[in-house]
Amino acid sequence: MKNTLIVIGIILLFLILYFLQINFFNWFTIAGISPNLFVIFVLFIALFGGKRIGIPLGLLMGLMLDFFISKKIGVSAIMLGVIGGLGGILDKNFSKDSRMTIILMTAVVTFVYEFGMYILNHFILSSTIEIIPFLKIIMIEIVYHILLVIIFYSLLQKAGYYIEEVFRQKKILTRYF
Amino acid sequence: MNKKKTGIVGIIITVIILIMLVFISNMNLENLSYIENAVSAVVMPIQNGLTYLKNKISRNHTFFEDINKLQQENEELKSKNAELEKNLRELEIVKNENTTLKEYLNLSEQYGNYETKAAYIINKDYSNYSNIFIINIGQKDGIKPNMTVISEKGLVGYVISTTDHTSKVQTIIDTASTVSATLSSSKDNLICKGTLEESGSLRATYVPTTASIVQGDKIETSGMGGIYPKGIHIGTVKKVVSTKNISDRYAIIEPAVNFDKVDTVLVITK
Repeated sequence: MKNTLIVIGIILLFLILYFLQINFFNWFTIAGISPNLFVIFVLFIALFGGKRIGIPLGLLMGLMLDFFISKKIGVSAIMLGVIGGLGGILDKNFSKDSRMTIILMTAVVTFVYEFGMYILNHFILSSTIEIIPFLKIIMIEIVYHILLVIIFYSLLQKAGYYIEEVFRQKKILTRYF
Repeated sequence: MNKKKTGIVGIIITVIILIMLVFISNMNLENLSYIENAVSAVVMPIQNGLTYLKNKISRNHTFFEDINKLQQENEELKSKNAELEKNLRELEIVKNENTTLKEYLNLSEQYGNYETKAAYIINKDYSNYSNIFIINIGQKDGIKPNMTVISEKGLVGYVISTTDHTSKVQTIIDTASTVSATLSSSKDNLICKGTLEESGSLRATYVPTTASIVQGDKIETSGMGGIYPKGIHIGTVKKVVSTKNISDRYAIIEPAVNFDKVDTVLVITK
């Protein structure tokens, strides 16, 4: 019961994030660069819910985004799926309680996502590669993401532990007993 | 043993993802438009409402302006209006005369030839590398992929896919966009591509070595490539960057359309 409630909550949250991203963060930018809320969202879900939830959620969300607004179907789906998996791996190896590790994780994941998107788009749509402007954009975006994570850290952590409690109850028991 | 298993599973997953990628990249968006229809039917009404609200709010700041000023302006405008009406009548006569003369000369008007449909932009891409947007007319309004989209100032882009009531438009400043263009004055051919270097600008490459290109030159579509009709204004040359090798030189083009502020466009249907 709790599980389904959380899944419905996540879907609602996704829609809210979508409208926030399109309507608000389109003009609330740093030097013209807008953040990508979905990367942070999938990362946190995967960190606290594990990769069994992170990967399908990333794939599904990416697919929805591709249908909403994208040139080719599947590119963001694959990359958000990768982020879901990466979040699960990071969770196994690092602590989530330290603000510093979360910030570093955000930076790494943002870089992986944007780099992957850029490369995939280059191969699929044959857009020109411009490394220096691209790196500039990615740096600003990473800074923006880190700022967002610092601001919303406690909120994200609280929600995250709630998700973890529900989804991993059985696992934790087998791990310790 | 376990490690070996996970290794094999990893390889299989990678192969599946790669195969998926190949399929996806070769898939035609139109074949999936029924899914897109369903998805956009859920989201677009809300998005339409939000866009309407946003436009309403952003245009209301003039509401509290000084009334006296408005009255004065009203008077001025009334007198201007009378004058303009007079001019209009004169113009009407001249226009009629002009069309008859043109018929004699077998000339046709540049944009008058195109049948267009007006559309609102209801959604813009959130990514920092691409620039596409969604307009509120689609298949049921007679919009098809590859139709050219313009605004009153110049070229905007072309339709990449449609659903029943919405269409996706790729703008000319998107990094995947390429437009074949000519210099209005000398008719030299260029290729204009979207660039990340100066966002909102175009980069004109393949400038002929003999071409004289200077700041302020006007650029228009050449009609080659099969998507954009000939003679649509693209923008003006902002600066010319010379390199050691003259064949490598390029120009930065300032598009006539301000893509941050554009909210209504015209789709050329014929």
